Amino acid sequence: MAPAELEQQIAALHPASFAWALACTRWNTAEAEEVLQSVYLSILEGRARFDGRSTFKTWLFAVVRNVAARARRRRWLEARAPWRLLPGAEAEPVDPLTAEEKGARVRRALGTLPARQREVLDLVFFHEMTVEQAAEVMEVSTGTARTHYHRGKLRLLELLGSEDLP
Amino acid sequence: MSSGDDEARLRAAMAEAHRRDAEHTPPFDATWRRSRPRRSTWRWAALTAGLAAAAAGIWLVTRPEPPPTSWPAIGTRWVGPTDFLLETPDLITLRSLPSLDPAADPWTARPAPRGTP
Repeated sequence: MAPAELEQQIAALHPASFAWALACTRWNTAEAEEVLQSVYLSILEGRARFDGRSTFKTWLFAVVRNVAARARRRRWLEARAPWRLLPGAEAEPVDPLTAEEKGARVRRALGTLPARQREVLDLVFFHEMTVEQAAEVMEVSTGTARTHYHRGKLRLLELLGSEDLP
Repeated sequence: MSSGDDEARLRAAMAEAHRRDAEHTPPFDATWRRSRPRRSTWRWAALTAGLAAAAAGIWLVTRPEPPPTSWPAIGTRWVGPTDFLLETPDLITLRSLPSLDPAADPWTARPAPRGTP
């Protein structure tokens, strides 16, 4: 794919990619921005290459998911670094998005689900993907994705049971 | 509640969760541009490393020959620093066969008497 065409496709998907990065980082905006920047960097450096085996969106979302997972692992290790255990170490700042309105309640409910259930629900119900496409993004078999989809759906409905959502 | 209702409800919940995403979405150009300088830095680092490796290779191939080292000639007897411990006072006796003075040898100096069988 020519660099200009690549840039054009990425630009068109930028808002959706950011929304997906937010879902992957549990709505931490700073982290989602960092993830997306790393994704673009990987693409520009040729470390992530689109080979045409799936749709461009599916491939890009898979890259976002992998980069977010790597960042999450790095943060997990950093949080357990010895200097973090010293008294006076600062707590992580609360993102303004997590402390507001009805959407925040849904995000909190989503946050209680296992990562794969949360991911498949986000991909299917917000990004309008099929379960098969979600499976490609999550790099799991369609059967596994379908299982996570059904379990996640039931669990989220149960959690939202008392919520006054439409 | 039907499956269709459930799905519509979940779709609405997801839309609610993502409702304010757009407000926080950074402009594409800024994110894309911020990725670029790091890319060129990486390339410069790789290019510099490559040039340094090439220069080292050229130097290794074209460097002047070092002066010949003066090695001892083959066959020179090497004397170990502790060889003197093997030198015993009777070493000369051990290294050579004892010889007798032929004049003092009664068997060679005196001819056999005539008539002896």
